[in-house]
Amino acid sequence: MTDEQGWYQRAVFYEVLVRCFLDSNSDGTGDFRGLTEKLDYLQWLGVDCLWLPPVYPSPLRDGGYDVADYRAVADDVGTIDDFHGLLTEAHAHGLKVIVDFVLNHTSDQHAWFQASRNYPDGPFGDFYVWSDHNDRYADARVIFVDTESSNWTWDAVRGQYYWHRFYSHQPDLNFDNPAVHEAMLDALRFWLDLGIDGFRLDAVPYLYEREGTNGENLPETHDFLKRIRKTIDDEYPNRVLLAEANQWPSDVVDYFGDFAVGGDECHMCFHVPVMPRLFMAVRRESRYPISEILESTPKIPTGCQWGIFLRNHDELTLEMVTDEDRDYMWAEYAKDPRMKANIGIRRRLAPLLDNDLNQMELFTALLLSLPGSPVLYYGDEIGMGDNIWLGDRDGVRTPMQWTPDRNAGFSTATPGRLVLPPVQDPVFGYQAVNVEAELADTSSLLHWTRRMITNRKQHPAFGLGDFIDLGGSNPSVFTFAREYEGDVVLCVNNLSRFAQPVELDLRQWQGRYLVEMLGHVQFPAIGELPYLLTLGGHGFYWFVVADPEEARTA
Amino acid sequence: MSSYHNDLHGYLGRQRWFAGKDRDFEVVDVAALPSLTTAPLVRVEFVTVRYVDGEEVVYQVPTVYLDALDPQYQHALMGTVDDGDGERFAYDAVHVKAGTHTLLTALLENRTDEHLSFVTVEGTALPDAADQGTMMTAEQSNTSIAFGDSALLKVFRQVSDGRNPDVEIHHRLTVMGSTRVAPLLGWYEGRWRDVHGHQNETHLGMFQAYLRTATDGWDIALASVRDLLVEEPDRPSQAGGDFSAEAERLGEATAEVHRQLAEAFGTSRWERRDLDRIVDTMLARLDRVATVVPAVAPHAEGVRAVFEGARATPLPVDVHRIHGDLHLGQTLRTVKGWKLIDFEGQPARPLAERRANDSPLRDVAGMTRSFDYAAQSARLSFGPGDDARLTELANAWTERNRRAFLRGYADGSTLDLVTAAPLLRAFEADKAVYEVGYEAGNRPTWTSIPLHAVEQLATSG
Repeated sequence: MTDEQGWYQRAVFYEVLVRCFLDSNSDGTGDFRGLTEKLDYLQWLGVDCLWLPPVYPSPLRDGGYDVADYRAVADDVGTIDDFHGLLTEAHAHGLKVIVDFVLNHTSDQHAWFQASRNYPDGPFGDFYVWSDHNDRYADARVIFVDTESSNWTWDAVRGQYYWHRFYSHQPDLNFDNPAVHEAMLDALRFWLDLGIDGFRLDAVPYLYEREGTNGENLPETHDFLKRIRKTIDDEYPNRVLLAEANQWPSDVVDYFGDFAVGGDECHMCFHVPVMPRLFMAVRRESRYPISEILESTPKIPTGCQWGIFLRNHDELTLEMVTDEDRDYMWAEYAKDPRMKANIGIRRRLAPLLDNDLNQMELFTALLLSLPGSPVLYYGDEIGMGDNIWLGDRDGVRTPMQWTPDRNAGFSTATPGRLVLPPVQDPVFGYQAVNVEAELADTSSLLHWTRRMITNRKQHPAFGLGDFIDLGGSNPSVFTFAREYEGDVVLCVNNLSRFAQPVELDLRQWQGRYLVEMLGHVQFPAIGELPYLLTLGGHGFYWFVVADPEEARTA
Repeated sequence: MSSYHNDLHGYLGRQRWFAGKDRDFEVVDVAALPSLTTAPLVRVEFVTVRYVDGEEVVYQVPTVYLDALDPQYQHALMGTVDDGDGERFAYDAVHVKAGTHTLLTALLENRTDEHLSFVTVEGTALPDAADQGTMMTAEQSNTSIAFGDSALLKVFRQVSDGRNPDVEIHHRLTVMGSTRVAPLLGWYEGRWRDVHGHQNETHLGMFQAYLRTATDGWDIALASVRDLLVEEPDRPSQAGGDFSAEAERLGEATAEVHRQLAEAFGTSRWERRDLDRIVDTMLARLDRVATVVPAVAPHAEGVRAVFEGARATPLPVDVHRIHGDLHLGQTLRTVKGWKLIDFEGQPARPLAERRANDSPLRDVAGMTRSFDYAAQSARLSFGPGDDARLTELANAWTERNRRAFLRGYADGSTLDLVTAAPLLRAFEADKAVYEVGYEAGNRPTWTSIPLHAVEQLATSG
């Protein structure tokens, strides 16, 4: 599906941290050449697009989101040539690559900021938001309340306050300055010229500040995103913009832009609330948490797509998704300390689900079948664990576990030199959980995940289809159909740990057959009466709704 | 008794909605309204049944006559008639495509004559004429047919003269724009003379929006209790399947419906005389049940005290139309929150009583008793009653969800639940006493559930 327009609407994304995937030069840190070596594996797994979190030079005080230079790569992950090599090889493997790009702010180590604070009258003097007073834009909330007390910080060098929506070491760029627009567009062009397939745009709602507003989702911000999009459409067709806006879907939908033209801002946006709702639904053994959020998710323009995920590298707290509505989540979560703790990320999928294979499969099946393009997190395909003792977000950034050998096959460096130690506990440690072992075992989670991805790719309905919640007699069974131009798939998910029956009203497909997708097993014809299915605890089915003649051969 | 009457006798005896299966009865009359269509002949018929004690009940049976047997509708074959033109086969029309299609078409055409009127509610989304009717799975006292995924037709089986509160309330709340009920799309009503020559005028069926994604509260509550009893955490709040946030929202929804009912139908007040009559009714029921179920007797004194305590409720008591038979099975969880269904009231009570104003606390008590039923019935299914830990957890589940429901209710209501507590307790005790009587006659193994509640209410006061 490489060069077709709208490829991202059907793609399976795979988030991979370059530093943690494979170390090619034995310095203890993963790099572009290492990742390049593993493209065969990723191609075999069946993913379509790699998403690389920031690889820019950075003081790494915010996981690389504190960018010190937009037009270079960090020394420890390789060179621009290495990166170009990765892109070329990835494309040869039929894989696309997108990188994180931070629009809102830079590191305070960025040359622009150094110039701005030292030479207020120089060309960069107006690149940031400076003020003599720290009382402007008082309606903008402080996002990182744990570490920051104000959005303004005093800079003794320039003798003024500077504005930052996130950490004080990440000053916000001044988008009221046209020169900033040009600088950012040039930086984007730098990567697009190298052949990058798109960007995941970080923290997009906050580009502008306006007195009397909360400084989020301002019209000027949308205007600038439209400008980026136009640049892409005019100069670099078929590249994708994926926005991260940790907001409610009804607000996020604005970042797709104009419906009439099929969207003229970002091609994709993350649908953040789906993730905690999935965990809630399985914990409550009730489909309503997830049914509800999908019901209240607005339609999106035709050329657009949601991005959905179970886990990623980032810290997603409940607070970020429950800003307004959200009494539902509060009512449910506030009472349940375990859920509250689990949702603030820092955990990988497998430990979150008590290493229960049935649940991991159920969650993955949901991820691969709900509306949106799924984003897998590296290592979750083998059920990797985490290391909560590493603190902050590093616990879920441990090296990919390739083999049971030294350093998990990630690096041949002295163990003490590794960027982060591989997980070594008896359950999730690399001796027990690794790619080599799971490749050898065709009933492993890895092989299962691959089969599911393969099945997904055979049905355009998963990526492009309408979503039809079928309800049904049993509140613990979540059933939906996806339908696209005659391709109909039916997904039945038992959110309960107990075996469950469900009666489904499938009359709209009366006379057709259900064919189970993984084994091509034909189920009875759909008649007029409710269709009875039984599922094991945390079991699920993917069915093709097939015509009688197809059914025999499916 | 004619041979068709004989056939009908057999058919009725097999129907879930026929209430007289355990009594001797005969079919004494079949009255037909003029036909809705002629090919095949479809018409509404009324079957009058008389029990040995002389009680008469009328059932509505929409009937379709086919010239030949149709094996796919074998379960709906009521009998054979021969009116001189040869044998024809009478089928219960709700099961037959031609029958349901006729009813839907009549609604869409707003058909009206002196005997039968099909009425649509303005501003609602009517189903498509092409939507196929499908019988829904068995229901207690009525028959429901789904048209596509947009509408549901509920055919009232047992009919008596007068307006049906289910139609009446749904109509008013729909017009009001309530989001707490499934909107009423239309209904049909009939006028006919019964076997005694009395002119009847009554609702016969209602069309409602079909809440496709819904499940009833009972199933959700049971899933929650099951999870608790398997997981056995220290407290119900730690169980994954905690229901309390749902219970609280259900309380809010109930309060909202009560506000809407008060607004739509007006309120009135109970004075001393009315309150005394209510308490006297409770006391009388207690005496009746205590005679039949001896296990109640030891607690009768305590329960009486609870009832007497309700006499001290500050007067006047505001009353208005209520649901009348509210329990978890009368609630639907949809993707847009909780809805209440079935506003018929307790079918066993006379129509006039069901349409009378009553205290909203009767509904509240119905729901809190239902929480207890959910918890204890799941508890019973987990085996013998000597596992104290399970019993304790089930009780804790009831208490937690009762509180959450009351919290949600109080948030949405002007009623002061603190002042009203004695009356609420009395309604709960009355309901439990009624349940003891009902279970003893119908499901003896479940008698322990309300009996336990009676005991608790009698001793905790």
